[in-house]
Amino acid sequence: MALVAGGTVTLGQYLACAGKTDRYAHITGKINGASAAVGHRLREGGFPEPVVVGHTNTVIAGSGVAGLTAARKLRQHNIPFKVLELEPRVGGNAGWGENNYSPYPLGAHYLPLPNLDNKPLLALLEEAGILTGYDPAGVPVYNETDLCFDPEERLFIHNRWQEGLVPQLGISGATAAEIRRFLAEMEHLRWAKGVDQRFAFDIPVAFSSTDPQFTALDQLTMKAWMQQRGYVSEELTWYIDYCCRDDYGAAADVVSAWAGIHYFAGRKGRAANAESSQVLTWPQGNGRLIQHLLQFSEDALLSNSLVYRVTPVGDKVHVDYFDVKEHRTKRIIADHCILAIPRFVAHRLLPDMAPASGFVYSPWLVANVTLDEVPSSSGYPLSWDNVVYKGRSLGYVNAQQQTLSAVAPQKRVITWYLPLDHLEPVASRQYALALDHAHWVKLITDELEVAHRGIHRLIRQIDIQVWGHGMIRPYPGFISGHALKETLQSSCPNIFTAHADLSGVSIFEEAFYHGNKAAEAVLARC
Amino acid sequence: MEVLLLFSVFVIATCGLIYELVAGTLASYLLGDSVTQFSTIIGVYLFAMGIGAWLSRFFKKELLSWFIQLEILVGFVGGISSAALFLLFEHALSFRLVLYLLVGLTGTLVGLELPLLMNILKNRYEFRDLVSRVFTFDYIGALLASIVFPLLLVPHLGLIRTSCFFGILNVLVALIVLVKFRQEIKWAAYLKIKAVAVIVCLAGIFFQADAIMSFAEGMAFRDPVIFAHTSSYQRIVLTSGKSDLRLYLNGNLQFSSSDEYRYHEALVHPVMMYSGHRERVLVLGGGDGMAARELLKYPDVEHITLVDLDPAMTRLFKGNTLLTKLNAHSLQSPKLSVVNADAFQWIKENKDPYDVVIIDFPDPGNYAVGKLYTTAFYRHLRRSLNENSVVVVQSTSPYVAPRAFWCVDTTLRACGYQTIPYHTYVPSFGEWGYVMASPGALHQQQDHVPEGLRYFAAGVFPQMRLFTADMDKRDVRPNQLNNQVLVQYFEDEWGRYQE
Repeated sequence: MALVAGGTVTLGQYLACAGKTDRYAHITGKINGASAAVGHRLREGGFPEPVVVGHTNTVIAGSGVAGLTAARKLRQHNIPFKVLELEPRVGGNAGWGENNYSPYPLGAHYLPLPNLDNKPLLALLEEAGILTGYDPAGVPVYNETDLCFDPEERLFIHNRWQEGLVPQLGISGATAAEIRRFLAEMEHLRWAKGVDQRFAFDIPVAFSSTDPQFTALDQLTMKAWMQQRGYVSEELTWYIDYCCRDDYGAAADVVSAWAGIHYFAGRKGRAANAESSQVLTWPQGNGRLIQHLLQFSEDALLSNSLVYRVTPVGDKVHVDYFDVKEHRTKRIIADHCILAIPRFVAHRLLPDMAPASGFVYSPWLVANVTLDEVPSSSGYPLSWDNVVYKGRSLGYVNAQQQTLSAVAPQKRVITWYLPLDHLEPVASRQYALALDHAHWVKLITDELEVAHRGIHRLIRQIDIQVWGHGMIRPYPGFISGHALKETLQSSCPNIFTAHADLSGVSIFEEAFYHGNKAAEAVLARC
Repeated sequence: MEVLLLFSVFVIATCGLIYELVAGTLASYLLGDSVTQFSTIIGVYLFAMGIGAWLSRFFKKELLSWFIQLEILVGFVGGISSAALFLLFEHALSFRLVLYLLVGLTGTLVGLELPLLMNILKNRYEFRDLVSRVFTFDYIGALLASIVFPLLLVPHLGLIRTSCFFGILNVLVALIVLVKFRQEIKWAAYLKIKAVAVIVCLAGIFFQADAIMSFAEGMAFRDPVIFAHTSSYQRIVLTSGKSDLRLYLNGNLQFSSSDEYRYHEALVHPVMMYSGHRERVLVLGGGDGMAARELLKYPDVEHITLVDLDPAMTRLFKGNTLLTKLNAHSLQSPKLSVVNADAFQWIKENKDPYDVVIIDFPDPGNYAVGKLYTTAFYRHLRRSLNENSVVVVQSTSPYVAPRAFWCVDTTLRACGYQTIPYHTYVPSFGEWGYVMASPGALHQQQDHVPEGLRYFAAGVFPQMRLFTADMDKRDVRPNQLNNQVLVQYFEDEWGRYQE
């Protein structure tokens, strides 16, 4: 297993050169992620005995996509429940924020067109008014204002913005041919099926074929596979690294080939009124979907509530939590419990659960940058997704892309994404949590200056969200291996887990799948 | 040593001619009428060179130092000339005066160079030899300049970078001479600093050329500018020439007073002819009040709502006497109410139905405006219409951009509208297209149009509906927010046309 041995530039070096600079002194903003401190109370323990505050059928710990999806399903079947959330806000990775100018995502910001087999997800989108109907051939029609507006993507390469993220400007004929060959192979794998007649790569991951000829791809890194297949050009290598970092927060030499290919081949969605490669997006990112899910559980939500212990007692479950606002410990007695929280937290709550060995998380930084105006640029115009070739970050998303005004609002909010993958995750996480706002401002602004010289003069404010455990990292052997399989079998019959972790791929569709699955397990017992 | 000096003759000659060509080209860009501009610029330049040659007699001592001073100065003046001219174009009271002064100054300095250099070289060569060599290099340099200027420099570097580049070459000559002959030169250190400073300055302009251009462009108009204002949304410029008044928004011609009646009569009267009821009319865009002027010719029009984004536009066309004469005070009419709002937001929220809707947006030349031509927009529009309401959309030129034109038609049809595409000839625009549309069937409801129209008549309309083969229906995709094909068609077709 190849651990990230550190990129060319370590965070330490960044720190050394990231002294406070007066040029950036005017930039305000704050670091969010204070709940990490509350979360760490879990490790310290020492909570006083709780008082029983209520009874319910099911307690759902966590109000991310998985938790709220489970809540929706329970509400649809009139099962009473409570949702406990550590943070003051809901949404987990799909959370959102808002300032004077625009709502913006704090994490996940888009949903690819769902696969046509993914009926539960299509039904959710229809219910939310995002999917408006089906054409005579049965292909979904989406609400035009929810599909990503054109121009969609651009890449800054050779000092110019080109259309699309696959490098085109200034590449050699041989590289272009290699990229075509790669994309053709991905297209082939997209429709490939195993001997079990399942798609080799599917979403949810659980529906994928177990045919060894495909699962064997989980035993080597994406980089090793690329080399085997003769994909060696600089530009394609960069592009694949970019994609892996985008979906897994780690580069191609870290994640498994199965996961790397899944990024391309897993998506088989179609729409009657959009190209199949298009995505659904909103100014608040996937917060749009959370807002919809929340309608089913808002009245049952207890935020600022840190679940610290889950104990099976007879056929009941005692769920103990710390009310962060009242500084009191409380207990809800339930028939069932759904742990819709990351696996590394879950095992701290449930003493019987095996430690989360093998579960490694990529730390992330998401920065929302408020600009006085759109920086000028040469080449393709400002798009939804704006990426700098060989940049350390994954570039930025224009939060106001989906505005209907013909006149672009002058003040802008762009959401800038940085997977913290230059160090091994634990070290990287520690550094990230230690860094102060001024240092982040320097790091982020310097990166933005590469493609937009002088942009620091336009930046008003940078709000930073550090995701210490941003997404599950599918090392080789993880998705097909024992860690996942053991976790999926719970030792207690009335306690269930639900999280995208359990797929090894941190995307909305997986969290949604596990949320539904856990709720169905509860329903089966009711 | 002599080789170096002769090489500098060659560079000087190239630079000298380049400055002249830059000035001539720039003058014909900005002022039009290239024959006159080139002829007068060359004349003034050569005459100024004569003045320079005459002045050379007053330089008697320290010739080499003066020569270097001169090179630095020529490099500076020539180098900044085009950037300065672009920037001064709109602000100077008399641009011509500035232009000729600058050309005169450059010419004088260039005219000084060769005589000074010949004086420096006179003791190193036979006179016969000297004249022969200097002029040979001079003319070779001129030939080189005249060839590379149109073929390489203008297309690849542009005018601002070209003059900066040659300005830097000029100063480099000074710097090289300075280094080689440092023993013979007074104030060498001072000159060196000066030369480096000028090079830095010119290099700065060189790299900021795009910014300067974009700042200066759109300032270039055919006729004298009588009004210019940058509102929060756009740059509004009004020019007044011999025969007409022209309005430009962000540098794009919106109308010429000499033939706007053709455009606006064709925009308004067909849709009125096809409308059974026309009490309530909505105008989207059209802040100039010209469409409203045509509408107010119908006594049965009871109310007009005009939605235009830019309060600066509607204020201008409400208050300026030249302009209210053009729009017949339409914006002051008690029947009309002006709403300054974003059309998409407004149409999304409006629930009152209108009988007639006139859509007169700018051409879909960018992704922002392109949204106003999408299926999403036309679907929202449906809620401001009755079954029998009639809409017209200005739809760019079906001759220049047939795919863009038919894309508007296809988009409306994709949203369930019936359409009648038609077109007319507007001399200052060319062949221009419109699409009439209705949720229901389109039938002519009235035979009469108001008295006193200069262009449109009921009998003309069938002819406007005919499309010749070069403008005929194209197979195109509907324009959606998530594909914006219209902007691509438009850019592609207009881009090719303007090349």
